[in-house]
Amino acid sequence: MTFDRDEIKQNIREKIGELARRLDVDAAQLEDDDIIPAAGLLDSAAILELVVWYDESYGIGLTQEEINIDNLGSIDAMADFLIARSPID
Amino acid sequence: MAFPLRIPRINNNDDFVKLLKLHAAEGDRVKTGDCVAQIETDKAVVDLEAEKEGFLLKVLCEENERVPVGEVMMWFGDRADEPVPEPIKNDEPVTANRTALGPTAKARALIKRYGLESDVVPYQSERLTAADVEAYVAGRDTGSGEHQPAPARDERPSVPGILQELSPDEHGMLGTVAWHRDRAAATYLEVEYDQGPWEQHAEEFMQRHQLMMSPLIPLLAYRLVEIAAGAPKINATIVDGRRYQYDRINLGFTVQGVETLYLTVIQNAEKLDPLEFVQSLGEIQRRAIARKLKPEDVRGATIAFSSMARWNVSRHIPILPPHTSLIVAHAAPRNKGAAVMGASYDHRVLSGFDVIEVLEKLTRVPQTQPEDEKSAI
Repeated sequence: MTFDRDEIKQNIREKIGELARRLDVDAAQLEDDDIIPAAGLLDSAAILELVVWYDESYGIGLTQEEINIDNLGSIDAMADFLIARSPID
Repeated sequence: MAFPLRIPRINNNDDFVKLLKLHAAEGDRVKTGDCVAQIETDKAVVDLEAEKEGFLLKVLCEENERVPVGEVMMWFGDRADEPVPEPIKNDEPVTANRTALGPTAKARALIKRYGLESDVVPYQSERLTAADVEAYVAGRDTGSGEHQPAPARDERPSVPGILQELSPDEHGMLGTVAWHRDRAAATYLEVEYDQGPWEQHAEEFMQRHQLMMSPLIPLLAYRLVEIAAGAPKINATIVDGRRYQYDRINLGFTVQGVETLYLTVIQNAEKLDPLEFVQSLGEIQRRAIARKLKPEDVRGATIAFSSMARWNVSRHIPILPPHTSLIVAHAAPRNKGAAVMGASYDHRVLSGFDVIEVLEKLTRVPQTQPEDEKSAI
């Protein structure tokens, strides 16, 4: 399976927006390279939910050690990590 | 190591069930999900299944015997020759403190229903419970041929309505609350503290390990494990009037799934370092949200930690999980970092002083140098 980077980023952005709305927060200003935990839009539980959604939606099989700022800290990082993990056709 | 199969609570009104039929014999090998016995409550006949694969080492009940809910019915093992733990014997019913605590409300209702005097009913812990009354009535009626009175039932409301079965999660909650009410001598206390230093500690830990989520609450829970390792009394319960000291620390931690609040369990938490603990808790939280919890993820808590800070709750009094004597209640700071740290505890096991000591240690940030080494208790 191949992934389109822009499409992945759009999906992640929509999910972040949905989680932020539940906390009465507007995530529209979040940039692709903003560090998500540092942006303060989502609390820890919402970030956890984002990670679970990302892992399940793309069938990644994340290990706990892979869940860190380097790999998943921003929308860009999440998209890059997914593309790097997907098999090459 | 041998593992037990206990009599489950099928419905809230039945503290005893009848063992109808055994479907496995000692020495048999069983697979997960095999029916090993059939039990009967007042409302239903239920198949009991093996919770995991293994050998049936010992059967402790007989067919047609009335058995208390929670009692070990069978012991299983990974090998056919594993030793079975010796049961704790207690031939002398507890008779002290009867007037100090008095019968539970349900026990009082049963005593009235059966026309008994509470003084004639022996009991096995600090309080006379419904199970004690049922046991007394059952024993009194054995072989007599007399009609055995039906157990007490909840009085139906006068307003018309429909009885609905509970979901497994709701049933679990009911069982937990019933244990808290009927078995533990549950009480609560709290201390006020400044959460600022803990937040700073968690922030540094998060940066050091490049974590995605704040480890504040997991690190507090880990600190509780450290404290329990140094003060085993808080990691115990009461069985037959004696302290049952656990030989490991299984940390129960409340996790909000999509629709359900789970008490997830980190098994053998004392063997983990702080980062391993935080990671283990992260994994189990992910499984809870993805609805992929394993049976061992929610089984066997010996001590517990609960936080409602996410919902800005500034104080809550948690229910004691069955067979624990302490659950810590973390809450949101109310203003400028001031917060309360509380605990529900079983006064049969712990005094208020014991719990204050725990909370005072817990509210102080441990001195952790070098990083991730276990802190000094």
